[in-house]
Amino acid sequence: MGLKKHHPPSSSPSSSQRPVRRDPERNFKGFIAQLDDPNPAVRRWGARDLAAFPEAAPILCRHLAKETDPTVREAVFSSLLRIGTEEAVTGLLPFLRSEDAGLRNGAIEVLQQLPDQTARHIEALLQDQDSDVRIFAIDILQTLAHPDTLGWLEEVLNHEEHVNVLATAVDRLAELTLTPGIKEALARLKQRFANEPYLTFAIDAVLARASVEDSQ
Amino acid sequence: MSEAAELALTDADFAKFRDFFYRKTGIYFEDSKRYFVDKRILDRMRATGHDSFRSYYMFMRFQASGEEFQKLVSLMTVNETYFFREEYQFRCLVGPVLDEVCRHRRPDEVVRIWSIPCSSGEEPYSIAIYLLEYWPRIDEVDVEILASDIDANVLERCRQGIYSKRSVQNLPREILEKYFTPLGQGQYQICEDLRACVDFRQANLNNPAETRFYRGIDVIFCRNLLIYFSDESRRQAADVFYDALNPGGFIFLGHSESMSRISPLFRVRRFPDAIVYQKPK
Repeated sequence: MGLKKHHPPSSSPSSSQRPVRRDPERNFKGFIAQLDDPNPAVRRWGARDLAAFPEAAPILCRHLAKETDPTVREAVFSSLLRIGTEEAVTGLLPFLRSEDAGLRNGAIEVLQQLPDQTARHIEALLQDQDSDVRIFAIDILQTLAHPDTLGWLEEVLNHEEHVNVLATAVDRLAELTLTPGIKEALARLKQRFANEPYLTFAIDAVLARASVEDSQ
Repeated sequence: MSEAAELALTDADFAKFRDFFYRKTGIYFEDSKRYFVDKRILDRMRATGHDSFRSYYMFMRFQASGEEFQKLVSLMTVNETYFFREEYQFRCLVGPVLDEVCRHRRPDEVVRIWSIPCSSGEEPYSIAIYLLEYWPRIDEVDVEILASDIDANVLERCRQGIYSKRSVQNLPREILEKYFTPLGQGQYQICEDLRACVDFRQANLNNPAETRFYRGIDVIFCRNLLIYFSDESRRQAADVFYDALNPGGFIFLGHSESMSRISPLFRVRRFPDAIVYQKPK
């Protein structure tokens, strides 16, 4: 017993504990079949291997809707992020309406990391009839690395009517450097919602912080 | 006044950057690090042609590729490796972590430890030495140490096992004398027995074909690597680790890194010496 000595060459890291052989049908069809396996570990490997196939995006999104195992879901999200196509993004957008917080948050995380593809959908999301979807769209903007982010948030301040959506937008502005347009929009918003103490407090806090930055 | 002298960060600029950097990386700069941080940001502002922090911050914050942010990460972190670096993690390994790993196993089952990235080899050799010196059960259990790096050139250096005086300066004298041979000119070579105990192989965490073989691992050391990765690559690395580990296996990350920021797949375990991440059993 003790430290095992390494005897090169061997074909795998351990010749004494060779990994269990995985599904021999290692192709697109085989990986898709794995998604229906009763064993979550097999489904997870299928989902991971499908990352190499951009055409798998809609299949992975459909699978996500019925997958309950969190480890498989995580692999599906990772593969969709890696595929990163328009199809992956459009397939994830419906999950913003999901009642399942795990699915919804997983979709938001992936969308945040695909700025170019997600950007095409932001305006529509910000005008969605469902205020929750508009809030999740602002959540996406929180870390979306896209140059139009401030412009979108300014539009929200100018046109949104739902106080919870507005409060989320104001909160997200706290870590950004405010443009003159946003400061003016915040001032107008404060007047528009003078009877909403939480919102006016949040606006004051963001403007006060910007004022300190400007004075330095 | 020169152009260089005109550029400066205000307190609010520093605070804004500190908050953003902390949220993205988990690294928090105390006020005492102000000069270190300011200097590097100002260097990047000049390099990218920005004449105010505000414009540089917006450029860096909203750049879709994240390239500028990664440049800042590289500048703000010091990637130095040496024997017994962050030794408290090795104490945790030979204490509660290996106790748990071995608790429900047959004595003839091999414990497998994977060091990635192994860089110039100090980490996997430190693990080997720590096990031999401080783990009471090393004579009862077989341990296999795997070490990987993306850079094939450093693997050859690892196999040679020759280190500078600076690299071995944290080692107790008796350990240095026991496992190393002085070569002169401040160079030390690790003994042949230990060199034969670490299996060095090239592996890129972002290439599934190169990591597929790593299965049945009990403990992973992946310290100060994920911080340099994009969000997507970090996520992929977490998937590789999850599938490589046995149920109940552990991951040690660098002191400023957190798996909780990357993936919900792992449990946080707080041991007296270190925080470690565990694949659920």
